[in-house]
This record gives sequence, C-alpha cells and structure tokens, in this order.
Amino acid sequence: MTRLRRAALIAGLAALTLLGVAAPASAHNVLISSDPAEGDRLATAPRQVTLTFDQEVQDAGTNEVAVTGPEGGRWAEGPVRVDRNVVTAPLRPLGPAGEYVIGFRILSADGHSVSDEIRFTLTEAGQGTPASTSPAAGGQGGDQAGQGDQANQGTDQEAAESSTGVPVWVWILGAVVLLAIGLTVALRMGSSPGKRS
Amino acid sequence: MSPAGTAPRVRYTALACTVAAAIAGVLTGVALSATGPVTGVADVSGAVSVGIPLTRALFDLAAVVTVGLAVLPVLVGADQHRTAEPVLARARIGTVAGALVWTTTALVLLVLQTAEFRPGAATIGLGDIRDYAGSLAAGKALLVVTGLTLGLAGLGLLRIRLGERVPPEFPIGLGLLALLPLPVTGHAAGTALGDLTMISMELHVLSAVAWTGGLGAMAMLLLGNRVLLAGALPRFSRLATVCLLVSAATGLFNGLAEIVLNPAVEPLPGLFTTAYGRLVLLKVLCLGAIAALGAHVRWRLLPRIERREHTALATWVSAELLVMGLAFGLAAVLARAPVN
Repeated sequence: MTRLRRAALIAGLAALTLLGVAAPASAHNVLISSDPAEGDRLATAPRQVTLTFDQEVQDAGTNEVAVTGPEGGRWAEGPVRVDRNVVTAPLRPLGPAGEYVIGFRILSADGHSVSDEIRFTLTEAGQGTPASTSPAAGGQGGDQAGQGDQANQGTDQEAAESSTGVPVWVWILGAVVLLAIGLTVALRMGSSPGKRS
Repeated sequence: MSPAGTAPRVRYTALACTVAAAIAGVLTGVALSATGPVTGVADVSGAVSVGIPLTRALFDLAAVVTVGLAVLPVLVGADQHRTAEPVLARARIGTVAGALVWTTTALVLLVLQTAEFRPGAATIGLGDIRDYAGSLAAGKALLVVTGLTLGLAGLGLLRIRLGERVPPEFPIGLGLLALLPLPVTGHAAGTALGDLTMISMELHVLSAVAWTGGLGAMAMLLLGNRVLLAGALPRFSRLATVCLLVSAATGLFNGLAEIVLNPAVEPLPGLFTTAYGRLVLLKVLCLGAIAALGAHVRWRLLPRIERREHTALATWVSAELLVMGLAFGLAAVLARAPVN
C-alpha cells in the first residue's frame, strides 16, 4: 500500500521534472516583468508602474506600491489597481534625474505577501514635484507614517481608520492567560475523578 | 502487579529538548531567509515576522504532543491497558493540555498574521481579524483548527472522566483532522498540479506529526517502564518506517516542485542559491540524521528491549527528538519562505 503510494509519488516527481517550467505554478507569486524594468534608463518619465506576476494577485486592499526618488520623496500617487496578475500604480510626473526605487508588497495567491524593489534611472530631469515628504497627512493619528502619500488602495485607509484595536502583545498576553486558566481547569478536572476506577 | 498503582514519572526533558531545537530551527531558518526592508513600503515589524514562524513551530509541536499522546494507547496495545492505566491516565491529561496549547497558538497565529496583513497598523482590533479571516483562506483555516482543537480538548476531558471506554481512535481521528486545514492554504494551494502537491503536503504533515508524536509520547511516558516499552516500541517501529518513507517522498516532492515550478529560478542551482533551496537541503540532512538514529534504535536497541534488557534508549531517543524538533523549526520558516 505504502510502496504503491510512494511509487506514485516518485512517478509524479519524474513527470514533474519532465514538464519542468511549463507546468502551472502554485505558491508564492513571482514577478515576471515590470515597466519600468530593473536597471532601465529612461529619458522620459513613465506615467505609471506596471508589475506583472506569474499568477493572480489577491485584491484584499493591502497591496502597496511606492516609488522613492533620488532625493527621497514619494512619486506614486493614487489607487493601486489589480487586474488578475497585473498590478498598476499611477505616478506623479517625475522630477530630478537619478535613481528611483519602486518598492512593492502584494498579496500572493497563497496568502503570503511578496515584496521587493525595482530600481530604474531617470536620465533627464522632469518638471514634477514629489508628494509632500513629511509623512502622515493629518487625521490619520497613529496610522502608518506617510500613508496619505502612498499609493494605497482606498479600502486600506478606511479599514485602518475603523480599527479600534489593541497592540499585538495584548492579544498574545490575553491568549496566554486564557490558556493558563484553561489548563488549570482541565488539570483540576483531570485529578478529581482519580478515586474512581 | 508491579507497575499499576504507582504514578509514572513523566520525562519533560524530551519535550524541552524538542522545543529548544525547534526554536533553534526557526532562528536558523529566519536568518537564512531574511530579506531587507523594502523602500517606501510599510514594514512588517521584526517581532511579527519572527513571531509568526516561532508561533507556527509551537503550534506544530503542540499538534505533535497532542496527537502523539492520543496515539499512545494504541502503541501500548489494548491487551496492556490494565497494566498501563497510570501511564494512560497521564497521557489523557496531556492530550487535553496539548490540545489547549494547540488552540491558543492557533489564535495567536491568527492575530500575528492579521498584524502582518496590515503592516501599517499599530493596533489590531476584532474587526481586523474578522477582515483577515473573511478575505484569506489562511484565516479561515486557523478558525477551523481552533474549533477542531477545542473539540479535541472536550473529547479529552470526556476521556479523563470515562477512561479508555471512549475509544482512543476518536481523539486520534480528530487530531489528524485538525492537521489538515492549514497546509491547504499554504504554498501548495493552486492549480491542477496544486491538487497533487496539496495531497502530498497533507501526507507529509500527517506522517511527520504521527511519527514525531509517537516517539515523543513514548519518550515522555514509557521510557521508565520496560514491560510496556517492550510491547510499544516494535509497534512504533513499524509506524515509524511507514512515516519515514512517506514524509521523505512527499517532502522531496513538495520541496522540489516549489523550486522547479518557480519561473524565476533555475531548478538545480536554485537548490543551492535560494534560501528556500538551502532550507530544503537542511531538512534533507535532518531526515538523514533521524533515519540513522532511528535505524540504530530499530536494529541495535530494539532486540535488547524486546528481551527487556537495560539500554541507553533515552539518550538515543532524545537525540532523535532533538533533530526532529530542528526539522519542525525549519519547516515553520520553509512553509512561508519565498523561493528567491
């Protein structure tokens, strides 16, 4: 029985190796291409960032794309759009020439987040100005720094505002206390019927 | 009869060794797979990103202990239940404690993953957790596990009250069932081939937990009792052989599939250049060590134990559990590590 199952698995493995990269993917999303691409040297500023992955990106309101200029500043502005496996984020007109860094974090098909950086160079300065470099546009008290400047999805901000929660450690402490109570009760119950039998 | 009536000594050292090794495994894995912060994007706090695999390792070990202690009555054998009653009573209490730890770690994992899901937020509210569980399969799976393990704890309490009249197969079945939801939502989730990798992953988890759990339960409760050990160890040995083969085959299949299927990585060098590949290789090393230690117990010590002679079994079993703990720690990181 086990031998059969093992044989089936080995056969599967062999078939898989033959199929190689052509087989459909599962697991973490992998960035296949981007526009601008890593190492690109551009004379004219791109209007948007396009990231193409090998499988669908989950649109749960937490995908982020940020573009940081050579002198800092944030150049991505507006909502991040997800169309199956393609993520796009609009850009402000770029400013100074130099290296720009695209940082992204997206939610994989498997529920894990995938993040990375892509660097491109603008060779001729444009007219644009960055979104205010001072983070946290008012009214977001306690939320992530610079959220107002970032190309987040609208739902993210709404959700963040509605969260009236407590820090993570409070949750963990609560869980541990509950566990202690549960264990004590269970062990009490376990020791009491000892006279039976 | 001699063993009945005397309270058995519980060896917690085996458990402590395994937990310590698992933590070491997690830290090794995190160090191997760490990625730097990404410019401009809100960072997941270090505490959360290390906390998730740490909690996951504790979650896995709680499952191991619970399932192992639930399996113990079967390993001991129905004919020995009278002699083994003091040991089995301890095992029943242990099953409840394990199931409660399992539930708690599932809930902590849910909170931590919600925190990872919203890296910007400083606080986590009930609404955030509901959002997370509502939109992500991983959250739903954790809720299902919470329910199943609570049920397992309840069943365990019933067994504490009624003893072996409640068949041990019930908690074993429920425990194994509670192992299934989480792997479904992980790496292996996906397409046509996903079905195959998913079944393979489930088999991997089931066999690894039954194997480690059985050994751990024996190490905690049976090592001091040569009569029970002489009956249980041969039974475990058969279980272990099956589990070794299944977990080796499925683990290799899943690890390699993950690398081969990644369009951005060349399969063969990927095994050595990517953090994922290195973690897979480390787990293969662990497997080799466990197999060697197990073989020593099986072919050198077992014949003497069956003759009820004294052996240095405790040392060898502890060493085996240590490596198993390490493998579980690495697995907790591997389950989430991207191939890059």
